[in-house]
Amino acid sequence: MNLSLGHYLVLGAALFLIGLFGALTRRNVIGILMSIELMFNAANINLAAFNHYLHPGGVTGMTAALFVITVAAAEVVVGLALVLTIYRNSATAYVEDFHLLKG
Amino acid sequence: MRMLEHVYLIPLIPLVASFIILLAAPEDPHSPMPLVGIAAIGWCLIQSVAIFYGAVIGSIHIPYQMDWSWFSFGATIGGKPFLYDMPIGVLIDGAAVVMLVVVCLVSFLVQVYSLGYMHGDPHFKRYYAYLSFFTAAMLGLVVSSNLLVTFCCWELVGFSSYILIGFWFERAEPAYAAKKAFITTKLGDLGLYVALLLIFSLVGSFQIPQIAQFVAQGYMPAGAATAIGLGLLCGAAGKSAQFPLFIWLPDAMEGPTPVSALIHAATMVAAGIYLVAKCYFIYAASPIAMFAVAWAGALTALLAATMAVVCYDIKRVLAFSTVSQLGFMMCALGCWGYTAGLFHLTTHAAFKALLFLCAGSVIHAVHTNDMRQMGNLSKKMPFTALATFVGTCAITGIPFLSGWYSKDMILEQVYEYDPHLFFILALSAVLTAFYMFRLVFLTFTGTERDLERYRHAHESPWTMTVPLGILAALSIFSGAYLSHNHLFERLVHFDPPAGLMPRMNVAPPGLGGIVFAAVACAILFSYRLYGRHDFRLAEDLKRRLAPVFNLLERRYYLDDSFLALVDLGDRTAKMAFWIDSEVIDRIFVDGWDLLAQLAAQLGQLFDALFIDRMVDETGGLSVSVGGALRWLIRRGMIQEYLLWTAAVLSTLAFLIAWR
Repeated sequence: MNLSLGHYLVLGAALFLIGLFGALTRRNVIGILMSIELMFNAANINLAAFNHYLHPGGVTGMTAALFVITVAAAEVVVGLALVLTIYRNSATAYVEDFHLLKG
Repeated sequence: MRMLEHVYLIPLIPLVASFIILLAAPEDPHSPMPLVGIAAIGWCLIQSVAIFYGAVIGSIHIPYQMDWSWFSFGATIGGKPFLYDMPIGVLIDGAAVVMLVVVCLVSFLVQVYSLGYMHGDPHFKRYYAYLSFFTAAMLGLVVSSNLLVTFCCWELVGFSSYILIGFWFERAEPAYAAKKAFITTKLGDLGLYVALLLIFSLVGSFQIPQIAQFVAQGYMPAGAATAIGLGLLCGAAGKSAQFPLFIWLPDAMEGPTPVSALIHAATMVAAGIYLVAKCYFIYAASPIAMFAVAWAGALTALLAATMAVVCYDIKRVLAFSTVSQLGFMMCALGCWGYTAGLFHLTTHAAFKALLFLCAGSVIHAVHTNDMRQMGNLSKKMPFTALATFVGTCAITGIPFLSGWYSKDMILEQVYEYDPHLFFILALSAVLTAFYMFRLVFLTFTGTERDLERYRHAHESPWTMTVPLGILAALSIFSGAYLSHNHLFERLVHFDPPAGLMPRMNVAPPGLGGIVFAAVACAILFSYRLYGRHDFRLAEDLKRRLAPVFNLLERRYYLDDSFLALVDLGDRTAKMAFWIDSEVIDRIFVDGWDLLAQLAAQLGQLFDALFIDRMVDETGGLSVSVGGALRWLIRRGMIQEYLLWTAAVLSTLAFLIAWR
C-alpha cells in the first residue's frame, strides 16, 4: 500500500489529540510538558508531510519544523526551570496544588 | 403785556421754584433759597393783579378759555372706534380772577411773614419748597378748565396740606393731625371721585364749558345732577371742613401758624367753596343738591361757632371760626348767593389770614397756644394787638369793614331764600362776635396771668408786622372797594337759567340793623365775661352749664364717633385677619401642606419599595451571575483553562471547516 498525505495527517492528528489529552489529564507538571512536546511533534509531522507532498523540491516546511524543534527545546528549558522553582517553593509537582493566580 | 395769554405761567412758576428750592441747595437754617419762592410768588401776584385790574377796567374779556391737547386714547362706543382727545387748559372767569389774586396775595404775604416766623428752623429751606409747591397746586386748581386736572391739583393741595401739617413730624401730635387731615379729606374725595366718573360717563368730557353746555341744553337728567351735586358737595365738605367732616381742621392747627393762615384759613379750605362755585351750573339743575349745600353750610356755621365759644387754644378758636365762616359761604352758595358766597370768601381770606398771622405773632412771642396763659399783651405788642382788633372787627361785621359788606350780603340773600337758614346764620354771627372778642380780651387785655411768659414777650420783627399791616389795611378797605359800584358783582356773577328762578322772600328793611344790634349785645356780653380783670362770672356760668360745656369741649362727640368708626373698622380687620390666619390658612394652606406631605410620603414609599428595589435587583442579578461564572471558571485550575481553550478553539475550527 502507498503512503499518502492523508495517512500522515491522520498520524499528526492522532499524535496531537494524544498530546492534548495528556496535557489536560496529567496531574504531574512534567507529564504535561511531555504532552506539549507531543503536540509540537504532531505539528512538525504535518509540516514535513505538507512539504513532501505539496512542494516536493522545497525546504520551507522542513525549515519551519526545525525552527519549531529549536523553540520547543528552549521552551522546555524555561518550563523545566519554572517547574524546579515551583517544586522548591511548594514541594509539589502536581498542578492542582498551584493556584498562585487564582482571583 | 399779554398777561391773560400767559396765565398758564401762574401755576408753573411756583412749581419750578419749588423744585429749584428743593433740589438746588443743601438743608440750611439760614438758606437764602426762600427768596426764590418769594420772587416766584411775587411775579404771580403781579400777573394776577394785572389780570384783575384788566378785568375791572374791562380791557380784557372774561371768561377767557384756552385749551391745548394733552393726550388721546382710542375707545369704542356703540361698536364704533374713535380717538378721544383729552384737552388741558385754562378757564379764567370772574371767580378765578378773584381767587388768583386772593391765593397769590395771601401766599406772598405768608411767605414774607414766614421769613421771620420760621427763622432758624432746621428745615427752613424745605418749608419754603413745600409752600411753593402748595401754591402751585392751588393755582393750578383755580385756573384749570379740565375737571380731571382740577381733581389732580385738588389731591396735590391735600398732599401739601398733609406734609405741612406734619412739618414738625418729630412730635407725635402733628404727625397724628396730618394723618387725620389726610384721611378725613380722602373720605370726602371719594364722593368727588364718583361725581367726576358720573360726569365723564354722561357728558364724555371733563371740560367745564362743555359740561355747562350739556347741562344748559337739558341733557342732564335731574337724578344724575343731584348725584353729581351731592358727590361734589361730599368732596367740598372734606376739603372745606363742612359738617360732619370738619373734625380734621382743628387738629390741623398743629402745623406752623403761617401754614394755618395760608392753607387752613385763606386758600385750601376755600377750594371746596370754589369747586361748588365752579360747578354751580350742576347745582342750578338740582334743587335737592342745592338744598343739601345750604343746610350743610348752615349746620356747620352754627356747630363750629358754638365749639369756638369754649375753646382756650387761640389757634383752635380761629380754626373753628374758619369752619364756621366756610359754613356761611356754603350756605350762601346753597341759597343762590353765588356772588355773596364768593365775596365772603374773598374778604374772609384777608381777615382770617390776618387773624392767624396775628395769632402766630402772639405764639412767637409767648410760646404757647393757651389763652389762659396770656393777657395784657397789648402793652408788649401794640401793633399785633391793633391788627388783631381790626381783624376781629372785620370778621364780626362792624360796619364799613370788609366782613360787614360780605356778611350782610349773605344774610340778605339767605333771608330771601329761606328765613330758617337766616336765623341759624344770624345766631352764628352773634356767636362769632362773642368768641372773637373773647379771644381779643383774653389775649390782649386784663391782667398778665403768666408773668414769666409776659416778661419774655416782645413785638415781632418787621418781616412779620409788615404783612400784618397790609392784611389789616385790606380787611378794612377791601369790602368797600369791592362793593363800590357793585364791582365784585359785575365781575363774579352767575346767571340762573331761565325758568329756574329761586323763590323769593323780601328782606325787611333794617334787617342788617337788627343783626348788628344783636352782635353788639354779644360783644358787650363778651366784655362783661372776659374784658375785666376777674372771670368770676364766666367761671360761674361754666359751672352752671357744665353739661353743655362738656358737650362743646368734646366737640359734640364727633371725633369720638369717628374714632369709634375707625375702631370698628380696626376690629373688623382684626377679625378678618383672625379668620384668615386661623381658618382659611389652616384649611387651605396647612391642609394642602399636609396633603402634599402625604403624597410625597407615598411617592417615597413607592420609590423605595419598587423603583429602587428594581435597580438593586438588576445589580444583584449581575453580581450573582458574575459570582456563578467565577465559581465555574476561575478556580486557578490551569488544566481547566486549557480545556476551555481547547473546547472553544475546536468548536471554532469545527465551525470554520463545516462552512
